[in-house]
Amino acid sequence: MPTTTVALALAAAVLGLLAIAMGFVLGWASRKFHVAADPRVELLQAALPGANCGGCGYVGCSEYAGALAEGDTTVGLCAPGGGDCAQKLADILGVEVTESCPYRAVVHCSAHRDQRLQRADYDGERTCVSANLVAGVQGCTYGCLGFGDCAQACKYGAIEIVGGLSTINYEKCVGCGACSRVCPRNIITLVPFKAERMMVVACSNADAAADVRAVCEVGCIGCKACARVAPELVTMGGALPQINYDLYNPEESEALESVLEKCPRKRYLFVGRPTAEDLAAVADEELPEAVTADFKTTVDDTEWRG
Amino acid sequence: METLTALILIFIGAALINNFVLHYFVGICPFLGVSRRVDTAFGMGCAVTFVISISTLLNWTFTHFILRPGAPLPAWVWQSLGGSAQTQIDLSVLSYIIYIFVIASSVQFVEMYVRRFFPPLYKSFGVFLPLITTNCAILFASLEVLKHMQDSTELWGLPQALALALGGGIGFTLAIALMAGIREELDLCDVPRALRGAGIALIVAGIMAMAFMGFTGVEKGVETALGSLLR
Repeated sequence: MPTTTVALALAAAVLGLLAIAMGFVLGWASRKFHVAADPRVELLQAALPGANCGGCGYVGCSEYAGALAEGDTTVGLCAPGGGDCAQKLADILGVEVTESCPYRAVVHCSAHRDQRLQRADYDGERTCVSANLVAGVQGCTYGCLGFGDCAQACKYGAIEIVGGLSTINYEKCVGCGACSRVCPRNIITLVPFKAERMMVVACSNADAAADVRAVCEVGCIGCKACARVAPELVTMGGALPQINYDLYNPEESEALESVLEKCPRKRYLFVGRPTAEDLAAVADEELPEAVTADFKTTVDDTEWRG
Repeated sequence: METLTALILIFIGAALINNFVLHYFVGICPFLGVSRRVDTAFGMGCAVTFVISISTLLNWTFTHFILRPGAPLPAWVWQSLGGSAQTQIDLSVLSYIIYIFVIASSVQFVEMYVRRFFPPLYKSFGVFLPLITTNCAILFASLEVLKHMQDSTELWGLPQALALALGGGIGFTLAIALMAGIREELDLCDVPRALRGAGIALIVAGIMAMAFMGFTGVEKGVETALGSLLR
């Protein structure tokens, strides 16, 4: 018999036998090492929006689905999915939807550029994370820097820099928390929106009154007036008031109004979607003309500083 | 002692001097794709080291007994069919297909095994294990071993093959972890817009490759040092 024939036959036999052997081993292993996966996980994953935004606190939708199936967490955490999604998840798991209020991002600073004092010219890279490394870009070491890292991080286009202050568009915000993760000064938090409009403390400066006055025209001076009016709702964390959102009840507007009125610096703000009354109140006011882009100045020469 | 020196030289050669990624340019896809964060890059490196060792072990076995020229199994078949002992049957043309086959199925097997018995390890490896199936660094290690098994003057045994695989895997881990560290820092840098992303990553990889050229010739010094150390 010639060598070639034998070699060919051997090659075919080796490959064929190897295929059979491996197929057998893998088939045996897939049954032997079978891990009983919860069939609900796939259903849950299909019901989730798949944005993988991480807003629920888990790494991606699949991990949240896994945690749901194990009963480690509640169904109302998915901000992009909202109420419909929570209902679907609850149907799959056979549980009731507990109170699910969407979380939305809140910027705890409200000073526009000209209200922040002791600002110096900054010629470095136009990002907050870089500017935050440099002392003296602005007097307030707590407040918004206004270079818009959060606006860049927002996948939903919900953040705009208005007058040097990042401003959240609550029509678009889904509460994924991407902005709060990139903010180098940690002034963006996620607040449970129990109503369309929520009261928030719009300052992050935890210094004493004199120091705050030196660096900001509008910052909270820590006078504790709010905490005296509503001692349960507002607690003082150092020189900065904090709203206890567990006790926050949007129905009790009187308590909220009293806090709002008591603040000498007007650092309590209502943020969120405008209600019908708000829209009606400003209906007859003239809006400023829409600002259109000037294409001569939008060529971005600030990026490259080689 | 000579064998030990040779083994250490093979190991250092695969890890540093002829680094798989930076000298031979194999395994570039994970090197660029999974090098954004140091911890995931390190996980990928560990998974590659793990799989490269297992698949080289299996592939060496197949090569030694079936594929190499003068391997015992084809010779036995040939002689039992009445052929002469002088003729050698060379099945090494089958190396590519068998290696790919063995790598893919061993990765599958390892994935199932790890999932069943080491769930935390599976969780941290999980995404990377299936990706490794098509990692060319793994195939490259097996082919390098084959090169040294084709002529019988200097036949590599299992220790040499494993030293090469382990060195290659550790060299890959080193390269990808270094790359991830540099890329984490790069995120804070003012990179010109045209070069952002893959552009600057490739430039960094090129500079790293040039830096690793500095290891060329180290083997002579290592050999002398080992010779005096192990005497």
